[in-house]
Amino acid sequence: MTEPSAPNNIDQLSTAPPCPVNDTLLRIDREIAEGALSHPKSRRIADEIRELINDVAWGRAGDDHLEAIEGLVAELALDPNVEAARNLGIQVQAELNDNREVFESHVVTHNCATGACTRLAPAPCQTACPAGIDVPAYVTLIGLGRYDEAIEIIRKDNPFPWVCGLVCTRPCEYMCVRGRIDTPVSIKSMKAFAAERAFSEGRYANPPQAAPNGRKVCIVGAGPGGMTCAYYLALKGYDVTIIEAMPTAGGMMLTGIPRYRLPREVIDREVAMLEDLGVTFRFNTVFGVGVTLEELRDKEGFEAFFIAIGAQRCWDLNIPGEKEFANIKAIHFLRDMALGIRRRPGKRVVVVGGGNVAIDAARSCVRLGCETVTVAYRRSRDEMPADIEEVEQAEEEGVRFEFLTIPKAILGEDGKITGFHCLHAELVAREGGTRLSPVPVTGSDFIIDCDMVITAIGQRVDDEVYPDLKRTRRNTIEVESISMQTAKPGVFSAGDAVVGPATVVEAIGGGKRAAEGIDRYFNHIPQPKMPPVPVRRKRMGCIEIPASTKMTLKRPEMPHLSPERRKTTFQQVELGIDETAVQNEARRCLRCDICLRCGKCIAVCRDKMGIDALNLGYFDFDHPVKTDFRKIADRCIGCGACAMNCPNHAMTIKDVDGERILSLCGTVLSRQPLVHCRQCGKIMGPRRYLDYVQKRVEAVGNDIRVKRDICDNCLRKQSAVSGSEITTFPKMEK
Amino acid sequence: MTFRKGQHIEVFQKSSDESWADYMDAFIGLHGVIVDPDTSINDPASLVEVSLEGKGTHRLPQDSLRVLD
Repeated sequence: MTEPSAPNNIDQLSTAPPCPVNDTLLRIDREIAEGALSHPKSRRIADEIRELINDVAWGRAGDDHLEAIEGLVAELALDPNVEAARNLGIQVQAELNDNREVFESHVVTHNCATGACTRLAPAPCQTACPAGIDVPAYVTLIGLGRYDEAIEIIRKDNPFPWVCGLVCTRPCEYMCVRGRIDTPVSIKSMKAFAAERAFSEGRYANPPQAAPNGRKVCIVGAGPGGMTCAYYLALKGYDVTIIEAMPTAGGMMLTGIPRYRLPREVIDREVAMLEDLGVTFRFNTVFGVGVTLEELRDKEGFEAFFIAIGAQRCWDLNIPGEKEFANIKAIHFLRDMALGIRRRPGKRVVVVGGGNVAIDAARSCVRLGCETVTVAYRRSRDEMPADIEEVEQAEEEGVRFEFLTIPKAILGEDGKITGFHCLHAELVAREGGTRLSPVPVTGSDFIIDCDMVITAIGQRVDDEVYPDLKRTRRNTIEVESISMQTAKPGVFSAGDAVVGPATVVEAIGGGKRAAEGIDRYFNHIPQPKMPPVPVRRKRMGCIEIPASTKMTLKRPEMPHLSPERRKTTFQQVELGIDETAVQNEARRCLRCDICLRCGKCIAVCRDKMGIDALNLGYFDFDHPVKTDFRKIADRCIGCGACAMNCPNHAMTIKDVDGERILSLCGTVLSRQPLVHCRQCGKIMGPRRYLDYVQKRVEAVGNDIRVKRDICDNCLRKQSAVSGSEITTFPKMEK
Repeated sequence: MTFRKGQHIEVFQKSSDESWADYMDAFIGLHGVIVDPDTSINDPASLVEVSLEGKGTHRLPQDSLRVLD
């Protein structure tokens, strides 16, 4: 199989957004093809430039490629012989000047954000990950049992693989192309398995660290965003100190997520990796109270700051009784539990809210021994924003739900809560909109018997922390959304403080961008204007698997602790999938980093060959149709046209041990016995292919049918020996 | 709550919200999936997390999104 000469001549991908690298290649190709570069020297230089840019477009370029290209381009621009060469040199130079960052990004990341450079088009899962993890590479490594290498890949983009393996909202899985066939690859669970295994084998390592550069950065908040920023800055050689109000690190990962979902030990182990990098933690220190930014800057020499204070304040219900009777905010309740205060809040508890925090609080109450736990939510089950799995597990544990319930008052006597006064609601569309809003039904009052009310109706950013920073209308800290730089020079921010209550992986992505922004700030490099392009960390080969296995392997079910046990213990609910299931799951991956779903294979098989064997219905994002890899073998003739037209070697065809094997990213689609020449033994192709050829040419020769078990060479020799005259076949009618 | 996890959406218009950055103009017309809706207070003004095909995961204002059938 020969390598396609260039990734830029693909009709199918011509609709991709413009990429300066690809555009430059096309421009040079056009000049060469049109013969504009008449002088041999200028043609040679153009060829060399083209080769080097092709390396950039194929992810093969090294650090000195761009410099070499510029040298050649300068030579071309000064060519005294050909005006077209001079013009081409000037144009390519202008392209390099205007888009140098894009060229550099291709070299560094091995990804082309537009996908125009076929070989460098990133997989949807990697693009979707806010941290930009190279998912196909680490999934393949996990499939091969190389867990420590998988973790090494992940930790280049995310310092918390184990945490994310347990609590990530998994955008990657929502974009997983396998989900268009049946169910997405269980990327999150595989990551957790690999992290646990790498830790248990003592193979959980930090990436190489740059030498200290003597610059000091202060980070406020030891949550996922703050610690991620610290991690990347420490790797770059900065002296990083994290100030944290709590007595321990973790932020909302620790104080907002109960232990039964994310064990504290997991956080501790990953935090310890940061300490190994020299990151200093200053606990029990409240920024703005115990220490100010000015003191840190002027007395301690910190030159840049990263504010990752999260969204720690809660909204109030603003109903009668809320101030008078001792109710609890859910995040305070969860925080206290995380810090070791695990007293039962009451015997009969009502939790107000419908998000994950409300469910976490309710399930924690069950574990603390509350007799009844009721979640009161003002909309219906369908509108409930909490994860469906979390809600189902809560119900299994005995949590009751009161939907369409609007709080009216907290009732009590002698400072103690005696009941929760509510109204039934109905959902009504507001005028001019489709959003259904809960409206109280008059006279539908009822009282839930309880002795504690926990409110979980949302969080907000504390506006008393660093009030000098400009805020948005949501009262979050205003930043430039790529570099995470605030209006104050040298002060950056990310995480919940910037976007409001969000996810762990988003905070990690924000912390990573901020670290890049801070590094640029120190080095006086302009901040980027576009989101970062994820980096391809490793090119992995494909795992071979028969089509039938590919189709029959199912996403593993996560085993859970029994509901009875869950009611009495904070033991981790998800028990994890076993090694066999993990490795099988890796084999379900479609390797979208290699197969770009450009459709060239389908088009050539259907339109040029007239076979239409490739029913790959998952290519379309919006309207996928049924795909069964097993059915491809029914019609495939083994001609190899699909493989020859594949721009990225995703589709391959090879003759092995008497069989012609067609594979798509390792999935064996067709396996057909080869027919050999009766005389010389040369491979002629599979029977179906020979029949196809015969059918196409039978109109032009009488004796071809009987001679197809002899190859062309032997046929010619036979004709020569027998003295047959060469027959001129009549032209076929079109 | 208008949006739910897993729903297919389209970025159908530019938002006048302050969180809309210039680079997001390139998202108009793209399709994607809701990854993390407004999970706490059902605030129509809050930002929702969407994964866009080929463009990554972003927090976008709700008025720029519409649900696809």
